[in-house]
Amino acid sequence: MPRRPVRRAALLVAPFAGLTAFFVGWEIYVVVRNLRPLTLPLPSDVIVHVVENPGFYSRNGLVTIQEAFWGFWIAFFAALFVATWMAHSQFVERATMPVIVLMQSTPVAVLVPIFLLWFGFSPWPKILTAMLFAWVPFVANALIGLRSIDSETHELLRSVNASRWEIYWRLRIPHSLPYLFAAGRICVGLALVGAVVGEFFNSREGLGNAARVAQSRLLVEQLWGSVFVLAFIGVAFVLLLIAVERRVLRWHASQGGDHRGL
Amino acid sequence: MRRPALDAAVSFEAVSKWFRRKDRLVHALSRVSLDVRQSEFVSLIGPSGCGKSTMLRLAGGLLEPDRGSVVVNNQSPAEARRQKRYGFVPQHPALLPWRTVRRNVSLLSDVNRRQENPGMSTDDQLAMLDDIGLTPFLDSLPRELSGGLQQRVSIARAFALGAPVLLMDEPFSALDEITRADMRYLLLHLWGQIGSTVLFVTHSIPEAVVLSDRVAVLGSRPGRITQVIDVSLPRPRHAEVEDSDDYHHVLAEVRAALRQGWSG
Repeated sequence: MPRRPVRRAALLVAPFAGLTAFFVGWEIYVVVRNLRPLTLPLPSDVIVHVVENPGFYSRNGLVTIQEAFWGFWIAFFAALFVATWMAHSQFVERATMPVIVLMQSTPVAVLVPIFLLWFGFSPWPKILTAMLFAWVPFVANALIGLRSIDSETHELLRSVNASRWEIYWRLRIPHSLPYLFAAGRICVGLALVGAVVGEFFNSREGLGNAARVAQSRLLVEQLWGSVFVLAFIGVAFVLLLIAVERRVLRWHASQGGDHRGL
Repeated sequence: MRRPALDAAVSFEAVSKWFRRKDRLVHALSRVSLDVRQSEFVSLIGPSGCGKSTMLRLAGGLLEPDRGSVVVNNQSPAEARRQKRYGFVPQHPALLPWRTVRRNVSLLSDVNRRQENPGMSTDDQLAMLDDIGLTPFLDSLPRELSGGLQQRVSIARAFALGAPVLLMDEPFSALDEITRADMRYLLLHLWGQIGSTVLFVTHSIPEAVVLSDRVAVLGSRPGRITQVIDVSLPRPRHAEVEDSDDYHHVLAEVRAALRQGWSG
């Protein structure tokens, strides 16, 4: 099939083409409308500014990444722990669900001042905020994944007296991986948002703090530079997660290459 | 009180079972008695909802009888299950999609390792897989296989455990007719080598007749055994058996028994 390599190459190039079109469109719009930098800067100016200040952005970026990283993983393990209990006991599920709905309905940002009262200027208020942002999608998806196992496979394992623990490790956990990866893609962004929201309230470092300071001093390039770097970090981590997912979920229909009917 | 046959591998003694569906009780099985002898192949056939699969799950210790008893090789089904005495073949292949063919076949041996594994050695498993044409697919994932190949793996998995009792719940029902006919003889081939006792649930009269030593015909509402028919066709059986007069005679007998159970 001669067209196949061309199609594959086109699919590889597509994301870069989309991004380039977006930035070129932006650049043209600013030039044509003759907008002031305070209203909307040229993206090329922002990129040049970021490239000229690598130390500033890497130092602050690293702080935000660390907060988001810990928030993401604490949310993941806490959600898996709670979802495991919920999947095994209807009582626990019924008792936990109102608390999850309560947490989901409460704007997490209003909790940040409380975390500041508890933990002061340590990284913990930011980590906890990042964790709370990411927690609910993880719990919801983990619960679906752990619950929706195939009843015949479950029966098959029971027929050889597999323990609950074996059914958990050999069936429930692998079965929930596609759901956890799907949640992970959403939660990477949410954990970053959580870390930045935490930094907005009270922080001396991090990209959220850099954006807040830039806004108060009208440092337009730094404000947009922080946004660009945050977006770049988000995209980089989602791409990393997709690469891991492709490797781990080689067996799953979502990874394409279905060859049924051999 | 009926006494179970001395050489019975699986024995149902006046077994009754009810299920609760919403606010009412459904009488699934009523005083069912059946002895399945060692190394015997018995099919359970009957209309939908007559309790065939319930009998299979009672034999496998996955359900408890409400009245009567089930004995498997002089043990309770729960004890036999603990000792991994069952090879279970469900209606769908139920392969773990993240395991290769090779690792799916060894799944039941890998689970519940506290129990001494009565299963085949790895070499024997590979020989069996070669015998049934699965060698080219050893490292394939289930989604890379056709439905027929997946069911082949499912059957190999049950035999690989080396269990003395095989419980098969309409394993070929999702396959096309040509593959289905092919699978019957594959199953007979494997069973001829291992010689386990088989309890086989099916809706297909030809399948029941080709495979079985005896066919237990069930009636419904409540589920009960209306007739047990001997299939005295010579073994080993090959596709030609379906052209014989004896085969057609048994086929007609089972069909008549089903019709009788349905109307009576």
